[in-house]
Amino acid sequence: MNSLELVSATVKLQKTRRVPVIPQVFGHAAVLSGVSVEDYTSNGEMLAQCQLNALKHYGHDAVFSVMDANVEAEAAGCVLEFHKERYSEIIKYALSPGGQFLSPLVVPHPEKAGRMPEMLKALTILRKELGMNTMIFGCVLGPFSVATQLLGLEAALYMAVDDPARLEALTDFATDTIIRFGLAQLKAGAHAMLVFDPSSSPAVIPPNFFREFIFPRLKKTCNSFDQAGSMANWLHIAGPAAPILPFYPAAGVHIANFDYYISAAQAIKGLPATCVNGNIKPLAFVEDCPDAIRKESMDLMTAFLGRRGFILSSGCEVPLESRPENIMAMVGAAREFSNA
Amino acid sequence: MDKLITAILDGDSAMAVSQARQLNASGLSPEKIIIEGVEAAMSALDTKCTLEDFNLLEIMLAGRAVMEVTKLFWPSGAVKDSAKGTVVIAALEGDVHDLGKNILKMVLTGKGYNVVDCGKDCPLQKLADTAAAGRPLAVGLSGLITTVIPVVRQVKGALAARGLDNVKVFAGGAALKQSTPGMLNVDFVAESAFDVLRFLSGLGNGLG
Ligand code: B12
Repeated sequence: MNSLELVSATVKLQKTRRVPVIPQVFGHAAVLSGVSVEDYTSNGEMLAQCQLNALKHYGHDAVFSVMDANVEAEAAGCVLEFHKERYSEIIKYALSPGGQFLSPLVVPHPEKAGRMPEMLKALTILRKELGMNTMIFGCVLGPFSVATQLLGLEAALYMAVDDPARLEALTDFATDTIIRFGLAQLKAGAHAMLVFDPSSSPAVIPPNFFREFIFPRLKKTCNSFDQAGSMANWLHIAGPAAPILPFYPAAGVHIANFDYYISAAQAIKGLPATCVNGNIKPLAFVEDCPDAIRKESMDLMTAFLGRRGFILSSGCEVPLESRPENIMAMVGAAREFSNA
Repeated sequence: MDKLITAILDGDSAMAVSQARQLNASGLSPEKIIIEGVEAAMSALDTKCTLEDFNLLEIMLAGRAVMEVTKLFWPSGAVKDSAKGTVVIAALEGDVHDLGKNILKMVLTGKGYNVVDCGKDCPLQKLADTAAAGRPLAVGLSGLITTVIPVVRQVKGALAARGLDNVKVFAGGAALKQSTPGMLNVDFVAESAFDVLRFLSGLGNGLG
């Protein structure tokens, strides 16, 4: 069973010889290879090369085409500022809450808009190199997160109260944008899709808002990816997400990330029949030592022993400045652990 | 006054502004309206929002109503010549999360402080210069991402370099609140935006 087969079997809750391990190595791959975050997040060839270097170094079970949280926003008209040592940021939003924004919005073309084509290039290279051996995750931002990135989070939240119809229309546009982008990624070489959705966290919005407003759009997104052959849809919502976990399976989520705010027991209870991944505290990769990470990894795998459908992972992305030996310790623990 | 308090707690900005206008027309000073109306509403919100039962949207809407009432009397949005003093706040360079900082701003404004907001992704230099110009009672730092911690540790030094040794520094936000005052080199670490009110009221009036 190769690494891709191992992850697929785990997603289907089948019994496997070992627990797959996927530290969420995104921009950290740039730091590991000694290239700037700016180059990594804007050059597809470089992104692919750094992901391959990281895979060789750590021997984990998946690679990602994640650039940063602003790819869709930039393609739809936001202005970004790039930095050498950290992720880009939005310095001008594409839309203003008072402006007439719906008519001029055009769903970005993945082969032309912003850095989208570079991400497609990265996926093509990764697929050529890895074939069907290691799972390659494409990445889109969640529909509500795209909406908040186009408008600013605060403005979007006020709009949810003041003018919900307008926010609905904007979030529908966001949904169309990510579906088109995601389908292009699957075509370019992604095996599976990561939907990264920070703004849908219960740290930000109440669970009933998730159910009414976000759930239907996530479902539409995941269904489209399924139809295009995605081997798995991974939903990533950081923070205290326990109250919304039960909505995930019906939304078409196959891998549910859980952050360190949620215990293994809560994840098992909230998602009895869905593959979950988590939840080592991201900061621990910077501050702790390999022994602590190893112990935490062993404890987590033990908590899921007998349950199946568990991927050892971090609660969110591993920070750029993570100590490589800590990531090594996590991968090592998964390889040592007997999953019988 | 009760109608103003209810309007703020309901997050009804338009109603809050019209109530404040009426109270003012009937002879109440803006200061009195802030202290007896707006501050009272903020206190009610404080006791209502426990850690387990925290509705961000509710706080944001109440906060917006507070800001609108403040703007009615002080169009810049800051309580000028506040008897309580000035607080300079920022999310430091490298951190673009600003929702928590903006809530802090609304809570402090609602409690009658003059808040100077340096925004998100704010360079240390800019924060220290703003503090030097504003002679604040305290400087508040919001940090959601751990990579800003090294910069947080430098804030006191940067203030001292400008002769602001006695300006208190407090911190909050998801990343900073996991740490301690000693680790961050600050005077106080707040769990929530309301938490800091107790710290500030213990400081007495602003000297800067
Ligand atoms: C929404 C969100 C975003 C939005 C932010 C939009 C915005 N305008 O703020 C967007 C999508 C832009 C974003 C981007 C990123 N994010 Co983000 N994000 C979040 C999320 C889900 C919620 C944060 C939030 O707004 N909470 C609601 C507010 C109201 O809470 P709060 O800030 O804590 O404030 C309360 C109190 O703390 C207090 N308070 C706040 N500040 C202060 C200050 C003082 C002085 C006081 C007294 C009180 C106080 O007042 C509030 C009310 O009580 C968190 C997860 C989490 N649980 O925190 C991740 C999180 C903060 N993000 C994270 C990351 C990694 C990122 C990215 C790097 C992701 C990426 N790969 O691109 C980027 C870039 C960030 C950057 N350079 O800063 C990590 C940080 C981890 C770390 N290394 O420290 C988190 C913790 C997720 C995780 N589990 O890993 N993110």
